[in-house]
Amino acid sequence: MLKKLIIYFMVLMFSITGLNTVFAAQGPDGNKRKGKYTYRKVYKACSEAGEVESSVPKISPADKKMNEWKTIFENRQFNEFGCLKYWEKLSDKDILDIYSYFYNYAADSPTPATCK
Amino acid sequence: MRKRDKYCFPIISTIIILLFTFSFQSVYASSLPNGDEAPGRKLAKQAVKNSKRWTTTDHAKIDALNQDFNSGDEVTQACLSCHSEAATQFHKSIHWTWLASGDKKDMRYGKAGYSVNNYCISANAMEDKGCLSCHPSWNKKGDKGTVNCLVCHNNSGFNFTETFSDIQAFSQDQDPETDEIVNELQMEVKQAVSKIILPGRKSCGDCHFLGGGGDGVKHGDLDTSLTNPNRKLDVHMGTDGENFSCTRCHTTVDHNIAGRIYTNPAVETRKSLIEDDLAPKITCVSCHSSAPHKNDSKMNDHTDVVSCQACHIPEFARVNPTKMWWDWSKSGKMKNGKPYVEKGAFGKPVYKTMKGEFKWEKNVLPEYFWFNGSLTSITADDVIDPSEPVKVNHPVGDKTDPQARIFPFKIHRGKQPYDKISNKLVAPLLTGKKGYWTTYDMNEAILLGNKAIGIPYSGQFDYVSTTSAFPITHMVAPKENALTCNECHSRTSSRLSNITQIYLPGRDKSSLFDTIGWLSVFGAFAGVLLHGLGRFFVRKNGREE
Repeated sequence: MLKKLIIYFMVLMFSITGLNTVFAAQGPDGNKRKGKYTYRKVYKACSEAGEVESSVPKISPADKKMNEWKTIFENRQFNEFGCLKYWEKLSDKDILDIYSYFYNYAADSPTPATCK
Repeated sequence: MRKRDKYCFPIISTIIILLFTFSFQSVYASSLPNGDEAPGRKLAKQAVKNSKRWTTTDHAKIDALNQDFNSGDEVTQACLSCHSEAATQFHKSIHWTWLASGDKKDMRYGKAGYSVNNYCISANAMEDKGCLSCHPSWNKKGDKGTVNCLVCHNNSGFNFTETFSDIQAFSQDQDPETDEIVNELQMEVKQAVSKIILPGRKSCGDCHFLGGGGDGVKHGDLDTSLTNPNRKLDVHMGTDGENFSCTRCHTTVDHNIAGRIYTNPAVETRKSLIEDDLAPKITCVSCHSSAPHKNDSKMNDHTDVVSCQACHIPEFARVNPTKMWWDWSKSGKMKNGKPYVEKGAFGKPVYKTMKGEFKWEKNVLPEYFWFNGSLTSITADDVIDPSEPVKVNHPVGDKTDPQARIFPFKIHRGKQPYDKISNKLVAPLLTGKKGYWTTYDMNEAILLGNKAIGIPYSGQFDYVSTTSAFPITHMVAPKENALTCNECHSRTSSRLSNITQIYLPGRDKSSLFDTIGWLSVFGAFAGVLLHGLGRFFVRKNGREE
């Protein structure tokens, strides 16, 4: 039993470390293009439920710098985005994709997002 | 006879007084708000009374548009399947070639040629990808690409370019999860692509309101405030006024849109629509006639010398500020080793490392020049005199030119680089990996930019003061806000202080004219007085000889 617990603990630790390693590298390696649409889908669903006025997300990647997005996504501080109920439903992969989108089009990135 | 002599003097005096009174009344009557409508307004209303546009096609029902599109080129092919000649016509227009001649053999004038300005200077023969964002082709390919009809003929606001790029990327992903996204995108494209329109104010404004790199930067009388203006800002385009679109005046033949100015006059002749209802460009005179004010108005006597715009556009940039000064010589400064931006009044940048120093102004009083519809242009292939400000663009005309009128202008001043050896303005490349905005190496940027347009560069540059003139013709104010007489006919603060070679009553003083005038007045008065006195003293008090 103890052996199983240790194995589960080790697997968990490896997973967390692995995820952090991905985030801590030169930027997240999710699918930024997919992340853009996953992000938009969150607001579309949120707006259809009447929780926000517009289906167009109010926050754009160019609103912050790369390091700021890194802090937000690594600590999963999504309060600023609103629609928290929908963020909670997203998988780790979806969040990694969205993070990649925000990181790659941040204000100080080589290609900052110019339109929402 | 005796009775007539007795009453003759007081009757004549009364008539003279009444005549004076009536003449003053007639002058002031023209400005009374409840007076009869001026003939120019009546004519203009008549000309546009049936201007509401209508269409016989609902593009959402067209089969060619009800398909899945994977690229902009496919959309254009769908358009051309019905509008078969549209691309051929458009390829010959200046909107496509960016050359005044329309022919690459003559590169002299045009954004894709040797033309320069004192904003972002040059489009480097379409090598500058930043400028290409306003070229109506798909994917910033310039004249090597396919015409993007939707730039002018679609009002969905949908980002087709980004979406097609994503659809193509997802298609190569091999990720089944993205199939759902692609299907949704295809649906969105289909809905957006059918929203076909005749070009509206926003269609034109997306480029022309943002000319020079931002809102209101370039023209002064064109900015985003004209997307949905009120009548106070522009009586013609005001949504609570005539609600004109741009093409109401900028008439179009074979996709050539009237009104651009390089060396050719924007308007060859001033014709009313009664004279020629297919006039290539609608001007004020086309609808309002050359005698637009009331028949007894002195203002009608001005129209052969003063443009309508001179009085009816008292100020420009009345909602958003416009850029009045751009000094490239101060660009490239860093703060803590990094490029920076400083903002000033109006929340607009007054310094950018990328671009240099700026000055912005609002409610700007125009400067006035004689203008026959043509502008001179100094290109990157013309020799300049750097010891004095270079007039990159300047109005053509003088008082002897029957087509010239006194016309309002925005004069944009600044400093820009020139070749110290050849004494020619240069065309630095700004965008891209080797552009100035990446390297901050002006010498290298000029080398690359001049190479793109095919003009040699010596390798040595300095900065020269330049001016650029932009005719002010939009933002026509309501008549109650037009200039009053004393704005020009004033000794101390005349708006026309730089218009010389003419005698402007109220502004100018000539002791000879004044002496003759006063002598005439006193002479007439003395004549009347002497005549009256003569009649008085030689009268016979009703007695007959």
